[in-house]
Amino acid sequence: MSSGNLLTTPDTESSGWRTRLHLGSKNRRRSTELGLLIISIVITVSAYIIAALGKTATIPGNIVPILVALLVLSLTAHVGTRILAPNADPVMLPIASLLNGLGFVMITRLDYHEAILQALWSAVGVFGYLLALYFIRNSSILDRYRYLLGVAGIALLMMPLVPKLGVNISGVRLWIHLGPLTFQPVEAAKLMLAIFFSSYFVEKREVLGHPIGGDKKVTLVEFRALGPIFAAWGISLLIMTAERDVGFSLLIFLIFIITLWLATSRKTYLILGGVLFGLGTITASLIFYHVRERLIVWFNPWKYATTIGYQLIQGQFALGFGGVGGTGLGRGHPTIIPVVASDYIFAAIGEEMGLLGTTAIVFAFLLIVGAGLRAALRARNDFSKLLAASFTAIIGLQSFFIMAGIVRLLPLTGVTLPFVAYGGSSLVANYILIAVLMRISHEGNS
Amino acid sequence: MDKRIRRLGIFLTILFVVLFLQLNNIQVLQASSLNNKPGNVLTASSTSNEPRGQIVSRNGTVLAKSIPVSDQYHYLRVYPDGPLYADVTGFDSLIYGTSGIESSYNQYLVAQPNPIKSLSDIFSSQQKYVTDTVVSTISAKLQAEAAKALGSLEGAVVAIDPTTGAILAMYSNPTYNPNLLSMHNASKVEAAWHTYQTDPNQPMLDRATSRAYPPGSTFKIVTTSAIFDHAPQIASQVFPYQTQITLPNTVNTLSNYAHESCGGPLALLLAVSCDTAYAQIGMQLGAQSLYNEAYSFGFNQVPPLDIPGVAAAQFPKASSFARNIPGLAYSAIGQENVAATALQMALVGAGIANRGAIMAPHLMSQIRNYQDQIVKNYVPKIWKQATSAATASQVSQLMVGVVKNGTAQGIAIPGVEIAAKTGTAQTNLAASSNLSLSGSDNWMVAFAPAQSPKIAIAVVVPSQKGLSFNSTGAQYAGPVVKSMIQTALGLS
Repeated sequence: MSSGNLLTTPDTESSGWRTRLHLGSKNRRRSTELGLLIISIVITVSAYIIAALGKTATIPGNIVPILVALLVLSLTAHVGTRILAPNADPVMLPIASLLNGLGFVMITRLDYHEAILQALWSAVGVFGYLLALYFIRNSSILDRYRYLLGVAGIALLMMPLVPKLGVNISGVRLWIHLGPLTFQPVEAAKLMLAIFFSSYFVEKREVLGHPIGGDKKVTLVEFRALGPIFAAWGISLLIMTAERDVGFSLLIFLIFIITLWLATSRKTYLILGGVLFGLGTITASLIFYHVRERLIVWFNPWKYATTIGYQLIQGQFALGFGGVGGTGLGRGHPTIIPVVASDYIFAAIGEEMGLLGTTAIVFAFLLIVGAGLRAALRARNDFSKLLAASFTAIIGLQSFFIMAGIVRLLPLTGVTLPFVAYGGSSLVANYILIAVLMRISHEGNS
Repeated sequence: MDKRIRRLGIFLTILFVVLFLQLNNIQVLQASSLNNKPGNVLTASSTSNEPRGQIVSRNGTVLAKSIPVSDQYHYLRVYPDGPLYADVTGFDSLIYGTSGIESSYNQYLVAQPNPIKSLSDIFSSQQKYVTDTVVSTISAKLQAEAAKALGSLEGAVVAIDPTTGAILAMYSNPTYNPNLLSMHNASKVEAAWHTYQTDPNQPMLDRATSRAYPPGSTFKIVTTSAIFDHAPQIASQVFPYQTQITLPNTVNTLSNYAHESCGGPLALLLAVSCDTAYAQIGMQLGAQSLYNEAYSFGFNQVPPLDIPGVAAAQFPKASSFARNIPGLAYSAIGQENVAATALQMALVGAGIANRGAIMAPHLMSQIRNYQDQIVKNYVPKIWKQATSAATASQVSQLMVGVVKNGTAQGIAIPGVEIAAKTGTAQTNLAASSNLSLSGSDNWMVAFAPAQSPKIAIAVVVPSQKGLSFNSTGAQYAGPVVKSMIQTALGLS
């Protein structure tokens, strides 16, 4: 498949790095990646200048440091990949960098203070990406720590519920305070739980995949098979009710069901999962106003255009106003939309970059999904395969949920748009997610 | 597992394709309807750096225009006689969006790129944008007269051409100044908005179309029409003279205005506005007939006037009277739970004037482009066939009697046959003893000339401080109606 295979070996001794870096210049995947990264930087910097021109009609004074920072970050990520995962897919990193870059441009245009934080978090994200590539030399390491990761994932999910530690932000209890920082532990938890699910299901798939009925141990098998699914259902309902978040609880539950189905090939899990979540949602919407409110607004936002549907309607206006070509960066009024930088950045992109911009974002995510699933198909072992598929499902579904919520295909779920939206925890977690996909891709291509 | 991973891929691809389709739907197919939704501030703020089309009266008086200014938006929306036409033009605000004609004809008012017809056009210094002009049906003369005649009274005037449904005047007092909302200084606009919204006199409430008041005895026009349509035998009945009647199943009584005694044939009952007789007529007609008649005159439906915010008049469902016969008696004289906007009562008058057909009310008569060519021409259409021409003619004659020898004698103009009905709705019986606030909503509905009507008018002067004790429609709404008719017929 690739000429790079001959030139590199997957050994991990540091003495080999220098040689590989040297030889790496002949690695076609990494050369492609470098080319794509440069394109991504050119797009980002152009967009940054255009946005500044559109808003204030002047070229921003900090353009040189921004350019340098972008170059340094992208090249560090690239060189790191060249050393640590030379055979990995060439598309994922440039797309992540492009999404991150465009998101940064929009955030700068929306809120300068948040932009500075987002720049810092981007640096932390790239650092996290490199650390993940460095420490996860082999994807099977993750298999080894599955219980630790599983317990840590659940603990992180519960953290916002701890008094004094958790914070309510706009009615959702998803954040925790750590000194001056707030962060969303669910972003890290989603990765840990997906690793745990993948590892656990690969090992237990014989039992879980056993057809229900047919021998004496019917009840035992049924219990074994159904126990986890009810446990996951319970946990996701708990998040939905206690932390008042619909988006992540749906995401984690779906990842659970999809991973289980991928591992066992039993469609019953998909159906049962769907039914359980449907029941859970209906019950929750009957009991909890914050869940019901989302459904009410989804069905008829115009009726609540000035109250609970205000954000949704303003988002629709922004998208419609952008039309095909958009108003031009810096020329729209996306700040009318409440919490635009985190929840509604996609609508801001739709207003200023139009259908062309939103389509680019949609297809960028589709390309990441394609690259992730390609990595899954080529992965060396079942655990890596399953892990790559479930990580890809995370990024695909999470981006779909928020974009579909904004265009009213689904009720609005307050998940972030990976890489694009403002938010440090999301950025770092998604960079680590990409690192793991890159690791699996590297292994598969080596 | 590979097979399932591919399926997952297909599933996710489908999701993203659906997303892509929906984006096309919103950003392309629905874009223009979203842009023209009321409350879309984006449209207002973007187009503010382009000129905006004029709104003019039927005779060409400019009601709204864009003037070039030197600030960042380049054009400022100006309303030369802002407060007078506020509820007609509405406002065009960077912060609060649009209302009135500014909202409903926004798609014509926004600037369009000047079409390039030749190569030289590209290099010439001609205007980059062109705009359409909305010609409204409003008569500047009648609008000014409405404001002058109301003076400091709180209330509303609606004048309609009964043959076309064209709104000739539509004025609500107190009013507001749309210029204060179209300014480019955001903090001043916000301050003005806040002042208007918190003002107890509610200057931004359009009393002509958005607020329904009990129509009182002006509703007897509908009740009288119901007699001819549903129970013609009542028309020949003679009612005993009474000062009050006892309502069925109660010890409550319904008495005439100022406890006068009245009765006799129908013509006299309408002329003196005999409540005791009309209460009995209502009960004789029955709830269903009265409800049907009110519905066919447009009650419980939003009149199709071409601006946002129009309210429907209310008449209770027939079934609600099953256990409340006294309620039916009160409803027949336009009290209790009956409520109508000035627009609706003007439409009632217009329907009688126009041989039973209520023409759809409208404010736009034409849209002209920058070369003065007609882009859109309003074609009059019937909104409701309220009643038959025969009934309308009978009711019209009875209403002429109200001016000749009834409660509306005060508006008589020599040489002009006027049809009218007064109304004095006691909004709160307890309040009538409170001298600071008169407890009556004062109405008059009229049209003239009775044989070939050119104007139908409704005036409402709701209960407010400063009205005389026992105020009446003839006293407060009458003079406004009279001066409007004089102006409309060129007699002033």
